[in-house]
Amino acid sequence: MDTLLLARLQFATTTSIHFLFVAVTLGLVTLLVYLQTAWVITNKPVYERLTRFWGQLYVINYVLGIATGIVMEFQFGLNWSGLSRYVGNVFGAPLAIETLVAFFLESTFLGMWIFGWHRLRRGVHLALLWGVAITAYASAFWIMVANSWLQNPVGYEVRDGVAHLTDFSALLDNPTFRMALGHVVTAALLVGGMLMAAVSAWHLVRRTPDFALHRKGLRIGLVTSAVAISFVQGFGFAQFFAIGDVQPTKFGDDPAAAPLIADWTARFGPGDYTPPALANVGLGFMILIGFTLGLLWLMLPLLWRDWVIRLRVPLWILQFALPLPFVALILGWIAREVGRQPWAAYGLLPVEQAVSPVSPWLMLTSLIGFSLLLGTLAVTNWVLLARHAARGAHDPALGRQPDQPPADPHPEPAFA
Amino acid sequence: MELAWYALLGLFFAVYLVLGGYDYGVGLLLARDTDPARRRAALNAVGPFFLGNEVWLVAAVGILFGAFPVLEGELLSGFYPAVLCALTGVVLVTAGVQLRSRPAGQRARTRWDRIVVVGSALAALGWGAVLAGLLQGVPLRADGHVAGVTHLFTPFVAAAALAVAALVALHGATFLTLRLPAADAAPVGRLAARLVPVALTTVGAATALGLLSADVRAAAQQPLVAVLLLSLLVTALLTARAAVARRRPGLAFAATCAALALPVALVGATIWPYALVSTVDPGASLTVADAAASTPTLRLLGWLTLPLLPALLGFQAMCWWVFRGRTDGRAPVYW
Ligand code: HDD
Ligand code: HEM
Ligand code: HEM
Repeated sequence: MDTLLLARLQFATTTSIHFLFVAVTLGLVTLLVYLQTAWVITNKPVYERLTRFWGQLYVINYVLGIATGIVMEFQFGLNWSGLSRYVGNVFGAPLAIETLVAFFLESTFLGMWIFGWHRLRRGVHLALLWGVAITAYASAFWIMVANSWLQNPVGYEVRDGVAHLTDFSALLDNPTFRMALGHVVTAALLVGGMLMAAVSAWHLVRRTPDFALHRKGLRIGLVTSAVAISFVQGFGFAQFFAIGDVQPTKFGDDPAAAPLIADWTARFGPGDYTPPALANVGLGFMILIGFTLGLLWLMLPLLWRDWVIRLRVPLWILQFALPLPFVALILGWIAREVGRQPWAAYGLLPVEQAVSPVSPWLMLTSLIGFSLLLGTLAVTNWVLLARHAARGAHDPALGRQPDQPPADPHPEPAFA
Repeated sequence: MELAWYALLGLFFAVYLVLGGYDYGVGLLLARDTDPARRRAALNAVGPFFLGNEVWLVAAVGILFGAFPVLEGELLSGFYPAVLCALTGVVLVTAGVQLRSRPAGQRARTRWDRIVVVGSALAALGWGAVLAGLLQGVPLRADGHVAGVTHLFTPFVAAAALAVAALVALHGATFLTLRLPAADAAPVGRLAARLVPVALTTVGAATALGLLSADVRAAAQQPLVAVLLLSLLVTALLTARAAVARRRPGLAFAATCAALALPVALVGATIWPYALVSTVDPGASLTVADAAASTPTLRLLGWLTLPLLPALLGFQAMCWWVFRGRTDGRAPVYW
């Protein structure tokens, strides 16, 4: 058994689970900011109820983002101690900044937001949600700075075999960073929008009593995802320019690859410097999904006179399409991360030097343990999310008056 | 500059043990009380602080990675089983507390509560083992890597892990004495009074085993400081006992806060100037200065954190202030 392979598998499993949840976090928090701001400005009860309903789903989803995020953070030290040893001076900085600038405040704000209903003034309560959203985007920003540095190390010099930081601004100017950040953030918005549209569609198909509320959810979700998918496509194609310039080995048949591999062979010894075939398989599928979801634009004219709802078929399509963006998320990351192999930091640190020298059995234990633990938690979390989504906006626990007992969770359908 | 960052790292980890400590303490105490309403009241007493407490850990590891990259790798991978144990605990508590009340059925809630109890125990034992392992030294070889993980399995580490678990349980009890409605606080106060001797015994046992261990004696660079901080720890526990008896919950809570922060200071100060003491090759021991990131990185982080620190502390303080005082019928219930 191979410690390196196990460590890579573990990283891939935990990050993938993490990302499935944090993408929803980023997307939903943006929509929640819109909903709660609209509530505070217009004072319409429908916005308050939407905020509570979607806020409840958001908070449930958030739990797994934290749980998996903490595991990921420790994983760098547990399994990739070579990474911190050789490139920690540079790579560690954005991660440290992320934890202090983003997560610290994000969680503090969120705790106050959850328990602050009916206790804080409305404006303060809204400001807390804005704080949560801004820090969530800050965390995406800094983690992408860190990841882009692994894709294309810049702003450093190697002294005594260790990378030292020379120019921090180069990390922010990294060609692998900007378009990727745009792509990731808009993909998250797409996911959030589609989730909102699909859940609302489910309720509209079932004719739950809250017609006006779910109609609004459907419209917001649909418009958001249609706008987002265009940006996803734009940023997605824009990434190819950066990749062509700095990672010629990534997607094969690039003439610049051969001289680069010759150079690496001279410096690091002979070896296989092309990524496994797996890297390119998913890319095509992701792009296919991207084009398919572009058809969301066709549904926008149907918003006129509620034809989306009256025709029914669009509602079903939205529900069946929900898994697509999630699949695309994972495929995209596999393309990016596996395409960087066999490097932990491209052209600088091979993965076998980055992995911790721990025994394969220990690594296997932790791989199985964390996969089971996080996998079970993820499935449980999705079940809870589905149940709460199905229960509807009737009486979410979030924002309930403290002295009010929970209402009957199973209201009769209005017209069966 | 390294010293300042080392102190900041210690501060963040100590505050995590203090704040996260009462989360885990309350979690452990769920095992004693099967009444659903009282369990829920205990968790909602932690309520608004819960999310803000555990980020101190996330931030501490961020500082560890940014400012002490070499230490990060060797510390975490060298203490692999202990870190695994603590991490599993943290994950279970995080998920358990936040999800327990999502299902409406009592059976499901009871099952989640058991997860919270187990998670709290794992977290407390795991962090105790990590601290003890630092004090005991690690088999750090000349190539800079820690050899194996069997060095963790000693009586001293086990005793110290238990001691931290006992401190955490006591801390949870004093927290609840301070936070719950006055009528519910009295029985928890009596429990706290009974937990003090347990904590003292386990701390005593860990000390005795530490004195008997040649590795611990060899690793202690500043034995005088160790004795001083240890006696402060005992004083804090005795103060807690007296304060509980005199119905001064605020003082009792302050004392157990100190009791959880002191072990971090004790470990950090006792092995200073080292960050990791090698048990196999004294020359291979890693000093704090060698473990630190290079100057440009530390300077960059310094410029960023210095102005930020007041904001971080300010918002945490805002959270404590807004939700201060005992919980009552009007307090929001969500966990
Ligand atoms: C909803 C999800 C989603 C959708 C529909 C798409 N992508 Fe994507 N893609 C991602 C979600 C994503 C991602 C998960 O967010 C990735 C992983 C890393 C990154 O920067 O974004 C990604 C990576 C990624 C990469 C790899 C970057 C690298 O290796 O450094 C490329 C070239 C593209 N995308 C291009 C596209 C194109 C041309 C699309 C459609 C027309 C497209 N993606 C649709
Ligand atoms: C593009 C990839 C990533 C994005 C966009 C992202 C984003 C986020 C967001 C928005 C959160 C907020 C909490 C939540 O949603 O539950 C979060 C949590 C977290 N993430 Fe990630 N993350 C990414 C990858 C990573 C990686 C690689 C790490 C490892 C260092 C990491 C570490 C964490 C940690 C420790 C938390 C918990 C913080 C807390 O307690 O709130 N994330 N992440
Ligand atoms: C959040 C979405 C992400 C996913 C789904 C993802 C996926 C993966 C996968 C599949 C691998 C294994 C590649 C292989 O060895 O075959 C991997 C490795 C790795 N990724 Fe990511 N990644 C994500 C984000 C990140 C980010 C944001 C960072 C940096 C902060 C990062 C850092 C790493 C590291 C250090 C490794 C291990 C070294 C290596 O194999 O190259 N990942 N990731």
